[in-house]
Amino acid sequence: HILIFYTVSDKQNRIKLINHNYLDLLLSDDEEDTKRVVRSAKDKRFEELTNLIKTIRNAMKIRDMAKCLEEFEQLCRAFLKSKTIMDKEGVPQFYIRLLADLEDYLNQLWEDKEGKKKMNKNNAKALSTLRQKIRKYNKDFETEIASYKEVQSCSPDAFTSSSGSDDDDDEGITAKSLLKKKPQEEEKKAPEASKFLKGAADEESESEDDEESEDWGSDSVDSGSESEDNEGAAASLAVVFLKKYDSRRKKHKKKERLEEEADEEAEAEEGGWEKVKGGAPMVKEKPKMFAKGTEINSAVVVKKLTEILQARGKKGTDRAAQIELLHALAGISNENNLGEGILIKIKFNIIASLYDYNPNLAAFMKPDMWKKCLECIDELMDILFANSNIFIGENIAEDSENLAISDQPFRVRGCILTLVERMDEEFTKIMQNTDPHSQEYVDNLKDEGRVCGIIDRLLQYLETKGSTEEVCRVYLRRIMHTYYKFDYKAHRRSLGLQGETKSEQDQEESEGEDSAVIMDRLCKFIYAKDRTDRIRTCAILCHIYHHALHSRWFQARDLMLMSHLQDNIQHADPPVQILYNRTMVQLGICAFRQGMIKDAHNALLDIQSSGRAKELLGQGLLMRNMQERNAEQEKIEKRRQVPFHMHINLELLECVYLVSAMLLEIPYMAAHEFDARRRMISKQFHHQLRVGERQPLLGPPESMREHVVAASKAMKMGDWRTCHSFIINEKMNSKVWDLFPETQCVREMLVRKIQEESLRTYLFTYSSVYDSISMETLSEMFELDLPTVHSIISKMIINEELMASLDQPTQTVVMHRTEPTSLQNMALQLAEKLGGLVENNERVFDLKQGVYGGYFNRDQRGGYQQKQGYHRGGYEHLSVTSKLLFTLFCGGSSQNALSLSSSKQLPSVDMKSVFLVWLVKLNVCVFLCLWLL
Amino acid sequence: MAEYDLTTKIAHFLDRHLVFPLLEFLSVKEIYNEHELLHGKLDLLSDTNMVDFAMDVYRNLFPDKEVPSSLRGKRTEVVAQLKQLQSETEPIVKFRQEYLDTLYRYAKFQYECGNYSGAAENALNSLWGKLASEILMQNWEAAMEDLTRLRETIDNNTVSSPLQSLQQRTWLIHWSLFVFFNHPKGRDNIIELFLYQPQYLNAIQTMCPHILRYLTTAVITNKDVRKRRQVLKDLVKVIQQESYTYKDPITEFVECLYVNFDFDSAQKKLRECEAVLVNDFFLVACLEDFIENARLFIFETFCRIHQCISISMLADKLNMTPEEAERWIVNLIRNARLDAKIDSKLGHVVMGNNAISPYQQVIEKTKSLSFRSQMLAMNIEKKQSHANRNEVKAAEHLSFFYLISSLFVLSPVVYTHK
Repeated sequence: HILIFYTVSDKQNRIKLINHNYLDLLLSDDEEDTKRVVRSAKDKRFEELTNLIKTIRNAMKIRDMAKCLEEFEQLCRAFLKSKTIMDKEGVPQFYIRLLADLEDYLNQLWEDKEGKKKMNKNNAKALSTLRQKIRKYNKDFETEIASYKEVQSCSPDAFTSSSGSDDDDDEGITAKSLLKKKPQEEEKKAPEASKFLKGAADEESESEDDEESEDWGSDSVDSGSESEDNEGAAASLAVVFLKKYDSRRKKHKKKERLEEEADEEAEAEEGGWEKVKGGAPMVKEKPKMFAKGTEINSAVVVKKLTEILQARGKKGTDRAAQIELLHALAGISNENNLGEGILIKIKFNIIASLYDYNPNLAAFMKPDMWKKCLECIDELMDILFANSNIFIGENIAEDSENLAISDQPFRVRGCILTLVERMDEEFTKIMQNTDPHSQEYVDNLKDEGRVCGIIDRLLQYLETKGSTEEVCRVYLRRIMHTYYKFDYKAHRRSLGLQGETKSEQDQEESEGEDSAVIMDRLCKFIYAKDRTDRIRTCAILCHIYHHALHSRWFQARDLMLMSHLQDNIQHADPPVQILYNRTMVQLGICAFRQGMIKDAHNALLDIQSSGRAKELLGQGLLMRNMQERNAEQEKIEKRRQVPFHMHINLELLECVYLVSAMLLEIPYMAAHEFDARRRMISKQFHHQLRVGERQPLLGPPESMREHVVAASKAMKMGDWRTCHSFIINEKMNSKVWDLFPETQCVREMLVRKIQEESLRTYLFTYSSVYDSISMETLSEMFELDLPTVHSIISKMIINEELMASLDQPTQTVVMHRTEPTSLQNMALQLAEKLGGLVENNERVFDLKQGVYGGYFNRDQRGGYQQKQGYHRGGYEHLSVTSKLLFTLFCGGSSQNALSLSSSKQLPSVDMKSVFLVWLVKLNVCVFLCLWLL
Repeated sequence: MAEYDLTTKIAHFLDRHLVFPLLEFLSVKEIYNEHELLHGKLDLLSDTNMVDFAMDVYRNLFPDKEVPSSLRGKRTEVVAQLKQLQSETEPIVKFRQEYLDTLYRYAKFQYECGNYSGAAENALNSLWGKLASEILMQNWEAAMEDLTRLRETIDNNTVSSPLQSLQQRTWLIHWSLFVFFNHPKGRDNIIELFLYQPQYLNAIQTMCPHILRYLTTAVITNKDVRKRRQVLKDLVKVIQQESYTYKDPITEFVECLYVNFDFDSAQKKLRECEAVLVNDFFLVACLEDFIENARLFIFETFCRIHQCISISMLADKLNMTPEEAERWIVNLIRNARLDAKIDSKLGHVVMGNNAISPYQQVIEKTKSLSFRSQMLAMNIEKKQSHANRNEVKAAEHLSFFYLISSLFVLSPVVYTHK
């Protein structure tokens, strides 16, 4: 916003300036300014094109085909963009020239077999693509190119022969083309033409080099007048130039130098042009603000202000000096009591130029600048609060401003909200660019209080004066500074430990509103009043995050579900997505603290399974090769990073995820030991287990992951005590568990969960060796009370996970012993596979036919479509034993049939025979099953 | 018992007139102070035109005071207005458009006066009014019809904002309680409406989780055994989800029984439920049903988990004497709802074992395979013969397939018999 606003005002200033013809400060700026105003869209486009052409020519010179191709594509695009202008003006000659030259050049390279061999692979490839491309492309410009070539064939030939410097082909071409370029370019492009003319004038006056000519343009009065002359003559340029050509042809001795120069010029062309335009006024050259004796009134000060602002954004302007000047101006206006209106206006501009100090978007403010900026905003707020009769706004037109002291209220253009927002962004930038482990970071972080203070003041101000939109924006800023902070005071208060606050300051602070209340108020306002979706989405996410952080799981969950954010978050912009990821993670951790392991696992699954948690949370970039990300993207990504003090601990996150995966997965694995359809709940967890298994030597666990793996192994054996000691011990406490606010509760919950799940695992694993087992023994073994054991076992029985029933009079669990033996299990699996294959065949036929299937499948459709993922290629999943059985009994040809049927390629020709074999085989398999039993 | 009373919550969503029956009920049950109740009634009446009733209540409340003149004045006013409207409507024999309006006003006024039958007779524009009248008339059939009509209008209404529809749905949910718990088919419909219509379920979850009590009761007292298991599963999910916002003995009973399998506390809750049900205006009628079904639920779950149960313990859990319990179980076994035997020497019930052997499982799994493959083969054959028009060959193959398939179908049977 701020940028747009200021460029607009700049332009207005400039136009005004021209009207007033106010020239004493600006040396040659008016000329430049008029030029700038005159520069039309056409010129811009042409400049773009010429730039591209220049780079292509450079690339041609060094035979960098890849670069050439890339630039050429860009050129085509740029050309398309300026299509409308081309339609009006006709295709510019320099463009045609490039096309022709490029084609010639490529053909030449193509012919040169030797050179081609030497080229590296990339270049050679680019060459062939480019050649094809340009051939196709040039078809559209056939007539133009032909006419160009005709012209070329007469004049440059004469030139080259006379110059006699034809040894180097490349140079010849560039020199030629550049010479050729001049006249046409000038026809199209007045400003550049003038520059070229200057260059020409240079030559004529036999000055030494090009640099000087540039200086001329801006500095010396002589050349100024001369350039004016030239501009005057611009109408009959072609004539002038032709003459020059003639004269040049006569001066043979100059030719060689000219060539060199032409080359140089080609390189310096862009820079030279820029510099002319940037011949900005040197403000600091005028240390005195006003001439002595000038009566200082608001009109004069405003004039001065606009003067200073003129220089803004131009090359060569000393930005620091400009800030100084503005400060001085503020001082003067203060001394002379010109009223708050002017002061505010100057302050606005000071802050804006502070922001402008860094031209680069990625760079951050220097500490002193930052301090100054904070002070300035503070002062500005002071003034605004002290004087309620000041109206500020973005939409107050420059003309309707009322800066002078009068009866009417002041009206000043400018938006304090955007300034503060920008300040907030600058703060984030500073935090992003400071080393998080240094003292400096801590010092910088101390400023957060001030930032919050300013936002709070602004909030108060806007609540009375601002529109709802503005209020929403400032509320969001406030929320953004609140949501990630844990409210220790409220936490302590809820625990009833108020009396322990030590200093007075603490007491004072603890009297403030709970952050939960603030969040609630601000967010609800935004929900009700906001019109832009983005602010509301951010507010919801922050609200959920805040709830989750403070363990209000149900509120957080309900808000997440009701907002339906999960459905369309993928359409949001990356910062919002990062916020969403952070929220989901926080939600998961919250669920974990509440003992809702499954919810925790589900919430964290997406983030953890990708293995890019760091990146997804905006807490650092992953190392990737440059192909996936170039420097530009990296910069953008860097800008999205969350400052360190808002980070979510990644180790904690992973630990929470792995522990919840362990609590879910280990009993599941035990229950489905023989199940062919077993699916992994968490791939990540399995990966960790495998890593643990692969180690040749197992020492005591060191890292958090090793601890979890060791604990999982213990749990697999139903040994909850060891599991417990691995999960909760000194090391893990300091690494993970102590990071939770209510660490004791979490540990208790964890112990309980470990006991319960170990009990379940134990029952699953060892039920086959028991006939019956007393519940009392179990409750002793796992240190759980009897009703809990009873309830867990009942649940398992009801869900048919455990084939057993309770014997009430003796309080024992009686096993039914119906678990199939391993052979039986195999037979069951085999039967299941067969079913799967038949289903598969039917589906394949369905796909082919589209009619069949009314018989058996219709009602089962829903069922096996869900299992589709599994059935696809079910053959590959067959365990080794059943594979063996298949090969033994089905013979070679049936293999063929099987693979045919499973790979969904039912050939229509010998389908019949395949199916015969298939049927026979199936029959055999069924026999086999029954025979095995 | 006042802690579980929902009257205040429900009254928020009801019409003034619909609250009266609730208040009457409460005064009979004597949970609250009679005096306070009367006060409440008087407050309610102050905005209606039921002046006579108000005067009665007033006299009840302050027997020693004279009825205030404002009430008397209002009475004469109301009577005059009634007269006037009556005289306006009387001459309308033919229905004409411009009179409809007056008619409507008359009907509305009638309703305001407490003359419900009069209001319902007229074809009212306001379905709500009609519904309320039918409810107060206890005309359940008609009320049910009105309810469905009203529901359709609300659901099909695209004009109103989501917030408005939510509001209306909440009202409908509350009003419908009158109908559902009085209409014979109401308990099926209530499940259908509250649990399986996502919009209404959402309304309950966001606006009025206390309705879960009625939903739970309806599910438990539902007669349909086959559907019940699935319904219960869905209900348990909802109850668990909302357990942090709403809890009462009835929902807790379900939670104890189906989430924690804690039979002792389920038993305790059941006793509490009894007290709650007796004091609930809507549920008082289904008390018996509820207790009986709840017992059955407990027993059923118990049987599914246990292999051997002592009758005395069971009697204790079911809140019966041992003899009663034994008789009850015997009846269950005789009605073939239970596969069990009674060991009278030890006083145990022994459950039948119903595990499926692996043999059976394999047979189950492979039973249809052959037939399905055969069908597939035949279909392919058909397609091919269709393409080739080679009928002779097809017939040949068909017979071959037939042979193979018959072999197929027979073979498992032979083996199982072996």
